[in-house]
Amino acid sequence: MLQQETLPIGLTALESKRAFDRDEMDVSRAARGDVQAFERLYRAHIPRVHGIVRRMAGGKDVDELAQDIFVRAWQKLGTFRGEAAFTTWLHRLAVNVVLERFRAGGAERSRRVASEAVFETARSTPMRPELSIDFEAALERLPDGAREVFVLHDVEGYKHHEIGSLLGISPGTSKAQLHRARMMLRKHLR
Amino acid sequence: MDQWTDRLSEYLDNELDAGERRELEAHLTACASCRTTLDELRDVTSRAKAMNDRQPDMDLWPGIEQRIAAAGGSRRYSFSLPQLAAAGIALMVLSGGAVWMLRQQAIQPAAPATQATVVDNPSVVPVNLADASYDEAVADLQRTLEVGRARLDPETIKVLEASLASIDQAIDQSQRALAADPANTYLYGHLAAARQRKLALLRRVSALADIEG
Repeated sequence: MLQQETLPIGLTALESKRAFDRDEMDVSRAARGDVQAFERLYRAHIPRVHGIVRRMAGGKDVDELAQDIFVRAWQKLGTFRGEAAFTTWLHRLAVNVVLERFRAGGAERSRRVASEAVFETARSTPMRPELSIDFEAALERLPDGAREVFVLHDVEGYKHHEIGSLLGISPGTSKAQLHRARMMLRKHLR
Repeated sequence: MDQWTDRLSEYLDNELDAGERRELEAHLTACASCRTTLDELRDVTSRAKAMNDRQPDMDLWPGIEQRIAAAGGSRRYSFSLPQLAAAGIALMVLSGGAVWMLRQQAIQPAAPATQATVVDNPSVVPVNLADASYDEAVADLQRTLEVGRARLDPETIKVLEASLASIDQAIDQSQRALAADPANTYLYGHLAAARQRKLALLRRVSALADIEG
């Protein structure tokens, strides 16, 4: 089944083109040191970047990571050649910064509970029928590996071979982790 | 759960080969549990695509701006006093719309397409900013600069190379944007301005190389 291409949420095709044109001008100015132009880029893209970080990092150090991403973008703007859209470049940079933080905190991450038992325990807590765990909150509770693959594949649209390169796993492991994440999350949609 | 349960995500993502796909679809016609699970997995992927982005709870810009400033902020390039003096003269000339050239660099006036304003001065030769003439002017200045390069101090050369890289990037980005939007007059102005900057910079440094020779 082909994945349908979608425009950024809430934007018509014309608005998307206008946003693209504004980005190109501001990127050019910011690359020459125009901080106000860079602030405009920040304001335009922070919701998406913050979302990527929030979902991948499971709610931990999100604001700090989002700031790290924009500081890194400022430093690396000179390397942006325009072969891809700025949005694509920025989102890939965001994913790389988050993964670098994960690698740096490897020992700490391995101590974080990564078992499905915690997820199952939370699910079995009695709740009033009218309440349910928000989907994004459910995402935060996934084991790290499963959550990362799910966000990269189902939310960000990466392919398994790309995820494998980013996370240092095989495409087969990526597929298995994705299925694991989906099977756990489906219980929160009932 | 059965042998096909773990393959449902691959089926959903169209990653099974034709034979496996047929087998699973045959299984689905007989297995209500797998059909239910498949529907639930579809719901999960739909929900993932529909996730909304939102602003963070606090404005993160002040912290970013502070860190950029602490790391050196603007990417302005620093020039020595003779370079700043020459830059000041060049900017005055450019702001009047005229292109000023050294008499020693006899560049032929080019075809009329995008001429800069001509100033009534024998040293002023209009340079067309259309591709062929502009490229010739730039190449000529670069050859002159190469001859005199050894007379320039390393810091000047470093500043020159960094400045040219920045301007070339602006030219490249303008050209790419124009390729996608050829009727955009703002972009034409942007491209012309970047090319003027490059010419002015090369003339300035060529002049320095001559002076210091």
